Amino acid sequence: MSVIYGLIPGMILLGLVSVLVFFWAVKNGQYDDMEGPAHRILDDDDMDDRKDKDDRPS
Amino acid sequence: MGRDSIPPSEFLSTSNPIIGSNNGTSCFHCGLPATGAAACTGDVAGEQHLFCCSGCLNVCRVIHEAGLDAFYDRLKKREATMAPPPDSPNDIDQYDLPEVQQEFVQNLADGSRQAHLMVEGIHCAACVWLIEKALGGMPGIIKAEVNLVHHRLLLQWQPEQLALSKIMQRLAALGYAAIPFNLDNAEGKLREQNRRLLFRMGFAGFGAMNIMWISIALYAGSFSGISIEDRDFFQWVSCTIATPVLFYSGGPILISALRGLRRAMLGMDLPIAIGAVATYTYSLWQTIQGGQHVYFDTVVSFLFIILVGRYLEALARRNASSATMRLLELQPRMATRITERGEERVAVRKLVAGDRLRVRPGDKVPADGVLIEGESHIDESMLTGESRPVHKHLGSRMACGTVNGEGSLIMRVEQTGSGTVLARIIHLVESAQGSRARVQRLADRIVPWFVGITLLLSAITFLYWVQSDFDIALLAATAVLIITCPCALGLATPMAIAVSTGVAARYGVLVRNGEALEGLSDITHVVLDKTGTLTEGRMRLSDIQTPGDRNRLLQLAGAVERHYSHPLAAAICAALEAEDLAFPASRNAQLLAGLGVGAMVETADGDCEVWIGNRRLMHNRGIAVDAAMQEVCSRIEAEMGVAVLIAADGKLLGLMRIEDGLRTGAVELIAELSRQGMGITLLTGDSAAAARHLQQLISTQALVPIRVIADVLPEDKVRAVEALQKQGERVLMAGDGINDAPALAQADISIAMGNGTDVSMECSDIVLMGSDVRKIPWAIALGQRTLSTIRQNLMLSLAYNVILVPAAMAAWVTPVFAALAMPLSSLLVIGNAILIRRHMQHRRSD
Repeated sequence: MSVIYGLIPGMILLGLVSVLVFFWAVKNGQYDDMEGPAHRILDDDDMDDRKDKDDRPS
Repeated sequence: MGRDSIPPSEFLSTSNPIIGSNNGTSCFHCGLPATGAAACTGDVAGEQHLFCCSGCLNVCRVIHEAGLDAFYDRLKKREATMAPPPDSPNDIDQYDLPEVQQEFVQNLADGSRQAHLMVEGIHCAACVWLIEKALGGMPGIIKAEVNLVHHRLLLQWQPEQLALSKIMQRLAALGYAAIPFNLDNAEGKLREQNRRLLFRMGFAGFGAMNIMWISIALYAGSFSGISIEDRDFFQWVSCTIATPVLFYSGGPILISALRGLRRAMLGMDLPIAIGAVATYTYSLWQTIQGGQHVYFDTVVSFLFIILVGRYLEALARRNASSATMRLLELQPRMATRITERGEERVAVRKLVAGDRLRVRPGDKVPADGVLIEGESHIDESMLTGESRPVHKHLGSRMACGTVNGEGSLIMRVEQTGSGTVLARIIHLVESAQGSRARVQRLADRIVPWFVGITLLLSAITFLYWVQSDFDIALLAATAVLIITCPCALGLATPMAIAVSTGVAARYGVLVRNGEALEGLSDITHVVLDKTGTLTEGRMRLSDIQTPGDRNRLLQLAGAVERHYSHPLAAAICAALEAEDLAFPASRNAQLLAGLGVGAMVETADGDCEVWIGNRRLMHNRGIAVDAAMQEVCSRIEAEMGVAVLIAADGKLLGLMRIEDGLRTGAVELIAELSRQGMGITLLTGDSAAAARHLQQLISTQALVPIRVIADVLPEDKVRAVEALQKQGERVLMAGDGINDAPALAQADISIAMGNGTDVSMECSDIVLMGSDVRKIPWAIALGQRTLSTIRQNLMLSLAYNVILVPAAMAAWVTPVFAALAMPLSSLLVIGNAILIRRHMQHRRSD
């Protein structure tokens, strides 16, 4: 059982890290727009079809 | 009806007109049918494409020049269509002025600037891509990020390299209208609050998840045996997790409970706080004593559940407040002040009563005041819903936010800032959003008693059992406290209302307050205002009277009118398109203000001089109008229609009747309401003849008898509603104009049309966004469903308490079971509320 004495504080520590990550995410506005980024990542995938136009000044 | 308010820019200068032949083809940019007078073809990327209007063509050209044609592929991939571009705001350069910028622009440490813009016209992810790519390519832009859900753009740019107005012009060229968004205003603050709530909820969630593992170990240990040291260790770990959750996540609840206690009020938060603190203290005491039972997990999980409920509620409320934002956008920012030194541009907030202002054509009136020089028509539709511009002359009152038509005016300021009519409307909307439902208030009234009784029962339990055994007494008393924690009672109403308002908002029904939902459920009589509610509030050609060829008359009229964007012109062009007739070519189009229009039309028999307008125009042109025709004109005008005469080569051809037609769905609305068993009354300010005409139209189509009251003044509308109420009816009133406002306020429940006036929206409990009147029966059904869900929820939580409280008092229930039962009852109530969404979505798709 003694392994528990190390594991549980470890668990809480990991949990705290995830809370900090969550706080960081909220502060950065990661939860402000729940739809847009899901589409944006698809858009970046097909950059190729515009390659010829990208070097134009716009 | 003045024809003099047509902006000259509406002339179509681009490309060839489409002649009737390409019906069924759609605009390359927005996908709307590209037929009729405004349609044009354009040369983009060496290919001919078809557009529904020159706006779409221009947008498409800009997109192509920026090398962003891939936008259209993206659009196609999503099977989405664009809307035609919104009118771009004029006066964009005002946003470069420092005093205007200080309201919404932040100066960052590195010299760049940052601002949030509300962007109108954002439609799908392809728009996000387009805006980000197009702006990202401009030199001087550091960051451009679009928020798809809230239609906001976060901009960061270098002011030395790029003016803000340039960015906004770019957006306008792409077909998006941008308005600065001020984070300090009500919505910005709400956002900050929601964010804090999200922190607290997230933290409680973290606690709940971790503490459950410990609890599993403890529960398992209490059944199969566990060494004392291990148990103590687990208990202390639970305590470590629960303490910050109670004081951080539960902080606002504890504070509000304390505040209530100090004012000697037993508030909603008090039992939650007592439950949490008592359970926590007991568990802490048990932990220190080395006792068996700790309930830290109970504290954490019910705090988490309560916070989730509050967060969902906050989200629903935030949806409602975006309507206020639209009103705020009406407020002008700059004014032209006339001083001895000449004219100067100043920020609106610097104006004082007595200032003289120049209002140019197309400007927004910057303050409330009186006209002292000039003459013009002013579009007051945002305040009155009256779509015809109002003629203003010396001494007329002018209201802030209304739009000047053709004349240049000088006005004297009387009220500025928060004193204006517009500001008062905004204030009213904001205060209306804080209201609560009657049932909720009932629940709030019950809660103090509930709390008092809980404390009393808990004390009785303790005193009864303490005579035999202290441990049993404490356990039973705590069980009573935990099990009666009125979460279910507290959540019963807000959850149902939050879910309903959310469903409604998604469907374009804006519910102002919870009370409205409740009131909707017992409506027995529906009163409808005609103009703008049953009718479209838009002109439509309904009849042509001519001794000669009907189609020829229509074509001649269309050839002239397609040069103009006036409502009457649009009505004539729409009729031509509907009948699939070609527009003949025409030239030398001219407009006689207040009279009509004319042009040379090329026909098969050679050119022909066509004049279209009112009787005064015909008189003016020396064209004879016989007595029979005169009489027809008078009759049409008596029935609130507009009689438009048309003459070719000095001879009267005939007359067109143009009027405000019935909305699509108006007949279904009446049929559906009568199916729901509602009485229906129709109010109209029109003459009896016009009302009879309308009654015939609806009655024959809907097969339901309807009472029509004609010639009503605003006061009469109130009296009609009052009379119905005296007969014991619960009255729902739907209307859209400022003249409906008193009646809307008098009715038990009122519905305003979203395209109506702000004043009518203000007086109403529910606003229909968009113009589908078929949402009215849906809203009534939603109200009924919501109330029955609230009742079910209250019954559920009451039944729960009635069964379990005696059990807890009898010490049959351990606090462990109480802790399990308590969140379950809350979840049951929440689940029941969420059923509303499924039910009503199902109904919607019927």
